[in-house]
Amino acid sequence: MLTTLKRAALGATTAIVMAGAALANPYADYAGTTLVVNFPAHPHYNAVMKILPEFTKETGIEVEVDQLPYLKMRERQTLELAQDEGDYDLIAYVVFSKADYVYADQLENLARYFMNPKLADPNYDADDLIDGYVYNIGFAGGNKGYLEGKTGSLFGVPYGSETSILGYRKDIFEKHGLEVPETYEEMLDIACKIPELEPGMGGLSSRAASGHHASHAFLLHLAPLGGRVFDDNWNPIVNNAAGVQAAEALKQIVDCGPEGATSFGFGEALGSFLAGDTAMFLDTTVVAGQINDPARSQVVGKVGWAMHPMGTRRGSQTGGFGIGIPKNAEHKEAAFLLMQWLTSKAGDKMVALAGGNPSRFSTHADADVNAKFPHMATFGEALKHADPDWRPIIPVWGKINADLGTTLSKVLTEDLDIQTALDGVAERTKAVMDEAGYYTWQ
Amino acid sequence: MATKGINRLTPYMFMAPAAIIMGIALLYPLGYMVYGSFRDWNPSQTIGESEFVGLKNYITLFYDPAFRESLSVTLTFAFAVVFAELLLGVGLALLLDRNIRGMSILRTLFILPMMIAPVVVGLMWRYMYHPTVGTFNRFLESIGLEGVDWLGQHALMSVIIADVWQWTPFIFILSLAALQSLPRSALEAARIDGATPWQQIIHIKLPLMMPVLIVTALLRLIDAFKVLEVILVMTEGGPGLSTEIVALRISRTATEFRELGTAAAMSNYLLILLLLLTLSMFAVTKLQEARAARLARQIQEED
Repeated sequence: MLTTLKRAALGATTAIVMAGAALANPYADYAGTTLVVNFPAHPHYNAVMKILPEFTKETGIEVEVDQLPYLKMRERQTLELAQDEGDYDLIAYVVFSKADYVYADQLENLARYFMNPKLADPNYDADDLIDGYVYNIGFAGGNKGYLEGKTGSLFGVPYGSETSILGYRKDIFEKHGLEVPETYEEMLDIACKIPELEPGMGGLSSRAASGHHASHAFLLHLAPLGGRVFDDNWNPIVNNAAGVQAAEALKQIVDCGPEGATSFGFGEALGSFLAGDTAMFLDTTVVAGQINDPARSQVVGKVGWAMHPMGTRRGSQTGGFGIGIPKNAEHKEAAFLLMQWLTSKAGDKMVALAGGNPSRFSTHADADVNAKFPHMATFGEALKHADPDWRPIIPVWGKINADLGTTLSKVLTEDLDIQTALDGVAERTKAVMDEAGYYTWQ
Repeated sequence: MATKGINRLTPYMFMAPAAIIMGIALLYPLGYMVYGSFRDWNPSQTIGESEFVGLKNYITLFYDPAFRESLSVTLTFAFAVVFAELLLGVGLALLLDRNIRGMSILRTLFILPMMIAPVVVGLMWRYMYHPTVGTFNRFLESIGLEGVDWLGQHALMSVIIADVWQWTPFIFILSLAALQSLPRSALEAARIDGATPWQQIIHIKLPLMMPVLIVTALLRLIDAFKVLEVILVMTEGGPGLSTEIVALRISRTATEFRELGTAAAMSNYLLILLLLLTLSMFAVTKLQEARAARLARQIQEED
């Protein structure tokens, strides 16, 4: 009798355990939740929009997306995050917002989510995430406050991140027997040869307009040429030999560039390459989709890709967006599940196939992704040299960036002497840093 | 007694709702801005969390070369556009102050630029100024001249031209209205006395139009000090700081540099500047009125 009872009990328990196993669905507790997320209007996030229905189907969690132009998005987030109860459960933030949000204690530290066995997927494989992106976009509190390091931790995961890559016109290079430039010297040489070989065509499309554009273009050259904005003690060194060389490179590129290049923002620089007015393009990987879109581009099929040329070292840019959970979010755990799903191996591949920018090494090497986008392998190679420290991500950077950009614009348009210009930037930067308290310990 | 008190209060009670709404809608935001300008305030904080710094923002700005440059750009821009617009607007009004067939259609056509959204105006001009595919350079090249680097070396002038194009009609339409409401008797008397058309314009029409012109110029000046979108779209303040007017600098200070306190202080400087301008304009009109009254009295006494 006892044995029968025991057997029955055992049977029942097994049944319950098995039923439990069959139902083991980490998303079950959150099914029916509606997440409100804030994404930018950006090619990567347009691709994300295509894969979100898949998430809802798989998890039962609904997602409502508030998609805004990215500068507007930043303004909205600034207001939202300062409130006691925010509207957003998950936000995509521009890389330079990291400093502001983390410093104002507005983003969740992700440790407690990755520690939670009910939430964290053991197969997530965080090591596969691209190092440069993680440290540049997701990390805070490490070396210099914004890089990897023993004191740092994770506040966001890179998503929609970009690095720099050299696009060149295969047909033009072939016609004149030009080699794809490997070094800065070769690139600058070709940039100025092109207008002679192909009258009316500019060498290299670059941003150069006053402000952020000129500064971005300069920093793009500064890292590979061996320079930095600050030394390890926050002293501005933008005016040293490498800085001068980077500014000279920018000036040479603009002088040998298409007509009117001094007022080019990102849109114009890309536009002139797409229109076939220039032979090279050195900027973000995000443009790859547009270059092969016949509606926008007159150079479909004519563009080859190469790594960002080397100066004294390799150092392509890191930038773009990351996703994080606001401190004042209502559904933080469900938001984490969405974040994890989007940036998982499967999610990353899905978004790459939909035309987004993958954040994982494995996605760049994936056969399906490469079959659809043959440039992906080169991009993956470039990512190994992505430099998370090519531009400092500190709260006062906005002001320094603007000063650097307007001063460089004067170099490009008013023939201001490069050394004088950069000395001025260094001096004003020093004052800004001093006021912000960076020299308190010196 | 009580009734008398209530009676005396009645007008104030009628005015009260308007006064209260005015107080809330006008003074509160203004007070908020003034309050904010004394604080070291970044947009991630609420205003309460920010630190009080006294006049620091004002003093820093006073010595800030970038702010001074943008102030001088603003003054150059504002006075240049208002001067050019007055010249063209009044000129056009004088030319078209007659009975031409289809005048009403012409007038509508003239004021079209004013009705276009500033962002569109900015974009339109930016493309027209484009170094290679822009209308102007293509035209110049087609007649064998060299293209001009409109938004590069001549950015401020190009921005001024665009603004003049958009806002001359405003001055034109107000001047035309003023012209058409001038007392015909004065003009007839002048004609009978044998005044030439030029004399009529200089001695009769312009002086009589002056009060309207002053107000119009003042309105345009205030607007020109605050113009933002057209320049933002056309040049983003560049190259260098050559077209960065104060309104643009305020917007960059608040969003790019994330210094709301400094941005508020800048707005207050602009407000003070505009207030001074307005007051001086009022003073000028008052002086003119006083002079006219004195003249009228003299004439009466002489009679």
